Amino acid sequence: MPDDLYIAVVCSSNQNRSMEAHNFLNKKGYRVRSFGSGSHVKLPGSAADKPNIYDFNTTYDEMYRDLISKNPELYTQNGILHMLDRNRRIKPHPERFQGCKEKFDVIITCEERVYDQVIEDFDSREKGTEKAVHVLNINITDNHEDATIGAFMICDLVAMLQDTEDLDDEIDEQLQEFEHKCGRELLHIVQFY
Amino acid sequence: MDEDTSGANDVPTHDRVVELLNNASLMTNDKQKVNELKQVQELIIHKDPALLDNFLDEMLGFQNDRSVEVKRAVIGFMEEACKHDPEILAKVVANLPVLLQDENVNIQKRVILAVGSLYKEALRWIVNTKKVTDTMEATWKYMEKLTKNLLEMLDSENDGIRTHCVKFLESYLLTLTERTLDSEIPKKQEKDITLDQIPKKEHKLLKREDLEKKGTKAIELLLDFLGSPHISSINLMTCMTTLTSFVKQRPQFMPKAIQAFEVLHVNLPPTLAKSQVSSVRKHLKTQMLTLLKHIGSYNYQTQITTLLTDLGATQSEVMKAMPKIDSSRKRKL
Repeated sequence: MPDDLYIAVVCSSNQNRSMEAHNFLNKKGYRVRSFGSGSHVKLPGSAADKPNIYDFNTTYDEMYRDLISKNPELYTQNGILHMLDRNRRIKPHPERFQGCKEKFDVIITCEERVYDQVIEDFDSREKGTEKAVHVLNINITDNHEDATIGAFMICDLVAMLQDTEDLDDEIDEQLQEFEHKCGRELLHIVQFY
Repeated sequence: MDEDTSGANDVPTHDRVVELLNNASLMTNDKQKVNELKQVQELIIHKDPALLDNFLDEMLGFQNDRSVEVKRAVIGFMEEACKHDPEILAKVVANLPVLLQDENVNIQKRVILAVGSLYKEALRWIVNTKKVTDTMEATWKYMEKLTKNLLEMLDSENDGIRTHCVKFLESYLLTLTERTLDSEIPKKQEKDITLDQIPKKEHKLLKREDLEKKGTKAIELLLDFLGSPHISSINLMTCMTTLTSFVKQRPQFMPKAIQAFEVLHVNLPPTLAKSQVSSVRKHLKTQMLTLLKHIGSYNYQTQITTLLTDLGATQSEVMKAMPKIDSSRKRKL
């Protein structure tokens, strides 16, 4: 591939999985943006049924300050403050995939439900005939450790795809090789902008 | 468009276009060059269309640029310009076979996608004219040859080229078939020309019957490709999306589509890997739910729901997709 691929990584809230991958890919010099596909940004709260819910316009910094005022011990201990601190160094606030008009070459989702939401969004957009985009799903559990492992895998995957001479022609083989190598199954489809 | 950059408000559009084109020809950064050309496109197509003719050759000249992005931008410009003024087709059409031979597949793919809309514009141009000129005749011949080429390219050795040809086929099929009362037309395609707008009376260039035949043949081509045993998972899914999107707009072909999906379900290509089978089955489920929602599938609900159950759809997913039809409508179906 002579040109740099333009990559989007999408998880539910654009906090953990997509941001970890965004961070990794960014550091390696790839052209990347990250998104959430949910209707709100959800962060763990004081109990499983009491999540902290924000809209996508709330900055990472505002969330950081909100949580520090609520319960600094809890959110330090569960790593949320650390994550928000990392995130605010990358970009100001989470972004929703459905609101983005940019055209990517590859979109990587971190969960089947997110993959479904991305495809649903393409179905509801006015279909153009300008450009094809590959949508891939790789399941990553939403915790810190798995997000790190997931980001490594996404980096490997992107490196493989970037290395192709002709992405559309070679992606099938590359993905099979990748699945074999890391023992994961991917979902894959082409959509059009 | 941001008019405030470099005091654009004070400069006549003509001079601004000259400046942008000069800048573009000197620039070495592809992105900036594309950006300048996009501004020219906006100015000469939308802001002051009288200038389009003046600067057409300059814009088309950029198709010889070495940058893939610049070439792609020029193809996008051709599409937009022809939508605005179909006469331009005559100048553009001869360039397309050259671009289709470009050594970079991404240029070829961009041309393939552009031909779908250019074909529509050519057809509209010819239908709306009172007198068919020699230029028109030559342009139409070129277009027909080009579409024939693209249909043959469904057999290309390059998987990505095949994917893009399927996408072209979708647009081509919609042009060469008739809309019905139950057609669900996306807003963007409402004004597109379709077979029903081609006059039945004698026309020097167009015979509605011939166009219809071409459409029918193209449907068979799509169905054959969908059913071919060694199709890649990506092309298979693109064919499925295309078929669904086509029958939503042309529900008279619903039985054919459902039958094709039924056959596919029990006969998936043996070459697919395990995860590809998952992707394809998942996609098939989405297609069937989409078709179930369409009123045109009313008489085939049993087949569709059986297929959906086999594909693991839940009862509530199926119920949610069932259209609500009042009883008077039911009697007509």
